[in-house]
Amino acid sequence: MAVYRRSTRTRYVLAVLVLAALTLVTIDARSNGSGVTSEIRGKVHDVFSPVQRATHSALQPVGNFLTGALDYGSLRQENQRLRDQVIALQNQSAQSTAEQAAADQVLRQQGLPWVGAIPTRTVQIIDNGSSNFENTVTINKGTTSGLAKGQPVVAAGGLVGTVASAGSRTAVVTLITDPTFSVGVRLDAKNIGYAQGFGRNDPLRVSVITTNAAVPTLKKGQVLLTSGLDSELYPPNIPVGKVVDASRAPGSVEPDITLQPLVDLNELTYLQVLLWAPQ
Amino acid sequence: MSPHATARLRIAVLLFIAILIESALGSDMRVGGVAPDLMILLTICAGLTGGAEAGAWVGFWAGLMADLFLTSTPLGLSALTYCLIGAGVGALRTAVIPERRLVVPLAAFVGTAAAVLLFVALGDMLGQTQLLDAGRSWLIRVAVIEACWSAVLSLPVAWVYGRAARGSVGAEQLGMIGSGVVRGERLPLR
Repeated sequence: MAVYRRSTRTRYVLAVLVLAALTLVTIDARSNGSGVTSEIRGKVHDVFSPVQRATHSALQPVGNFLTGALDYGSLRQENQRLRDQVIALQNQSAQSTAEQAAADQVLRQQGLPWVGAIPTRTVQIIDNGSSNFENTVTINKGTTSGLAKGQPVVAAGGLVGTVASAGSRTAVVTLITDPTFSVGVRLDAKNIGYAQGFGRNDPLRVSVITTNAAVPTLKKGQVLLTSGLDSELYPPNIPVGKVVDASRAPGSVEPDITLQPLVDLNELTYLQVLLWAPQ
Repeated sequence: MSPHATARLRIAVLLFIAILIESALGSDMRVGGVAPDLMILLTICAGLTGGAEAGAWVGFWAGLMADLFLTSTPLGLSALTYCLIGAGVGALRTAVIPERRLVVPLAAFVGTAAAVLLFVALGDMLGQTQLLDAGRSWLIRVAVIEACWSAVLSLPVAWVYGRAARGSVGAEQLGMIGSGVVRGERLPLR
């Protein structure tokens, strides 16, 4: 009898929790990323950010050790290459402190030619994201620094992503490899397309927007830039990626174009957020 | 404070610490681009040590905490997934899973793989089609590697969870001894 009562209670609890979860999903899906649930997420990021930063700093040596241990195979090859580099570098006067490297990274991002007159904010990544289904990073500035949802994020090489949500002191950036990310790119003088992310470590795929113009011919290694058309979400001429492949499948009219991001998304520390809104 | 309330508080603190560790170290622990998921592992441990009800409760809160750190999937999707997995593992534990030390890594492996697939399936049903955009091979890779991570981490995490859950209702019912491995008789099928 006791087991029966317990079992009934378990079913009741499970039903209530499932309903609560479904209610949250419905509210969040209906608010479309701008309702009370996204506000809660932003607030939680703000509250957590100091603790997150402290935990990240405290556990960084462990993280570095784990990264090294898990990449042992590739590290051996890289080790040889680095030994050669070290010999060359010993002949130069190198003040390679961590602060110097960080300052260099920030300086490299100042005066990026394709940013033009758009005002920017320099931000630092405080969380690299641990989800296996979304490629995001959390940065240390939010709405109080002028950041807003939808603003483009760049680094020295080119486009990095877009601000997905902004709390008052932190914001989440969706990287260009995330499957939800897409950006218009100019293929040649007459053709445009859009590049879409397909997951971490995978290249972006470009879909050609069909027009009456001749099919674009792209060369391997060619850099594609944002198209910047009217109502486009990104300003024009920001480098997006390098063409890895632009071959045409038999029987296909349009080429299968894949792009490698110009920025190494695994080695990001500082970023520039463009305080820009679609025109 | 009663032992039950103290146990709940310890579990809440453990979940909080786990999410912090995951956000700080998760990206450094990627193998083949896939990171471990401590929250689903704690959910499975809760089901194993406390039964279906404890698994559902811990799964709901663990999933909700994980949801708060995501942006592209709706709030509540992980909570729904983990809650169902926790309840499922707990129900199986009380009904059919025998008492063996090997059960913990095995349950962690199967439970985590099931959680990944259920998360994507529920997400797809709820309109989150981007979860499948990376392709089936990526999904299988995530399920297998994440499950392996859970199996590897399961014994220490189950031990820690077992210590935290001492005195909780579910743990008492199943005769948990605090090592994360349960020592109870099989309960009648519910």
